Amino acid sequence: MNLHRKIEALGGAFIGALKSVRELARLWRGSLAGLVERDYPKGEIARQMYVVGNKSVLFISVTMGFLGMVMVMQSGQQLNRITGDLSQLGPEFLRLFIQEFAPTITALMLATRVGAGIAAEIGTMKVTEQIDALRLSGITPTSYLIAPRFFACVVMSLVLTIFAVVFSFSAGGLTAWSVFGLNPTLFFDASRVQVYDLTLGGCKALTYGMAIPVISGYCGLEARGGSEGVGTATTSAVIGSSFAVLLIDFLLSGIGFAFFGGGAR
Amino acid sequence: MAHGATSNQGSPTGAGPRATSTQQADSLIEFRDIHKAFGSKQILRGVSMAIGHKEVFFIIGTSGVGKSVTIKHLIGLLRVDSGEIHFDGRRIDDLNEKNFYPVRKRIGMVFQHATLFDSMTLRENVALPLRKHMQLGHKEALAEASVLLERVHMQHSIDAYPATLSDGMRKRAAIARTLAMKPDVVLFDEPTTGLDPVSARRIDRLIREMSDDLGVTSIVVSHDLDSIFSIADRIAFLYQGQVYKCGDRADFENTDDAIVRQFIGGHSQGPMETPGF
Repeated sequence: MNLHRKIEALGGAFIGALKSVRELARLWRGSLAGLVERDYPKGEIARQMYVVGNKSVLFISVTMGFLGMVMVMQSGQQLNRITGDLSQLGPEFLRLFIQEFAPTITALMLATRVGAGIAAEIGTMKVTEQIDALRLSGITPTSYLIAPRFFACVVMSLVLTIFAVVFSFSAGGLTAWSVFGLNPTLFFDASRVQVYDLTLGGCKALTYGMAIPVISGYCGLEARGGSEGVGTATTSAVIGSSFAVLLIDFLLSGIGFAFFGGGAR
Repeated sequence: MAHGATSNQGSPTGAGPRATSTQQADSLIEFRDIHKAFGSKQILRGVSMAIGHKEVFFIIGTSGVGKSVTIKHLIGLLRVDSGEIHFDGRRIDDLNEKNFYPVRKRIGMVFQHATLFDSMTLRENVALPLRKHMQLGHKEALAEASVLLERVHMQHSIDAYPATLSDGMRKRAAIARTLAMKPDVVLFDEPTTGLDPVSARRIDRLIREMSDDLGVTSIVVSHDLDSIFSIADRIAFLYQGQVYKCGDRADFENTDDAIVRQFIGGHSQGPMETPGF
């Protein structure tokens, strides 16, 4: 009997997960359709780009700057111990940040700051019946609410990733010069960066930018009850978006490695 | 006064006479044996009732009995588990989201919390369905919205934002937004809850005027006995997921049913079962 219940619960969870995936796909399609139909308030895209992009610049720049400094210090110490040659520190650091750290860490921070905001805003609208009021006014909530956030997140995720690369690389270069006395012309060397690195990093940033608003919007639209429901939706949005970022990171990195050999030369 | 269903009385538990709402030829809306559950919690257990043209029809009952749930089925915000809903002779419970749009042009709803959009002025709020449902241009919609706000005596606040207004004023603006679609039916979810007595009576007057002057059918979910016994044409009392009693004001005022009398009298002691108490 106990086993029967466990199997039933497992089956229920599996079906629930499939339904969520189907709903996420529907939201993704709806967001794209909403961008084509332009069924959102005038100036909403600009407002969302400001909220997602401008308001995250300082947060992401400072975080990535510190991360760049720490990474250079740690890897510089290890290289000093093993080979004593720091000439490849800057070029390899840049490659790693372009294809991995900058897009992924930026997206994880967007998931916490922007994803939570989207879920809280839409969740509050859901529990106060404003979403129902939109539907009664002839408006599709996906087109009206998710589509502009979707567009803003996709564009700003890429822009913020570029900011992240610039700030982390600059901070890393300063650290290498001040801690290890490394010549900046050796560190600031982009010759090892390949099209593969830029493509992989760009693809990751764009995909994260699509995933965060869709997952957060879904959590907001699923909010039930009152303030507790909004809190649950916000937490789910952060967890779900962060998990999605890591999963996408693994998948895209795996695809890059399997089909392009990880861009190695 | 229009009558879409005969008076009836019954006990959902089977202890007393069963509720048997009948349908009449002139009924605009019919609920037929509606069942609805949320997870394992069964809310509606066979709601049947019919509502006529131009009626002011009240649905009353204890909190959580399914009053709001019942009316939300009418506009597709919730879907029935079983049963049928007919509107103007056509079955609507099986329509998909897209096909519900024409129904929503004819059935408006004023929500419990007014649900105006905070980022828009009152005029923009009212203009929104005019632009989307009625396909009016921006300026045309704003002009029409001003007229509608005047109808609900809100002409002095057309450019105010919802956050700066009282609950009563927001409710009136929400009614104007609903009227923008020139609906045949308006659903009110506890329209006077949280309002002072003067604002509440103004809302009552608006509901009555909509029926008498514009020919709108109103379905009102409410606990406000003053409202119920001043403007209702007919009343349905929901109890344990079914229509326990349906009739006009006199039927309710003169009833000797102990459960109905307990509810109307607001007595804490009596035969009524209220889960959680």
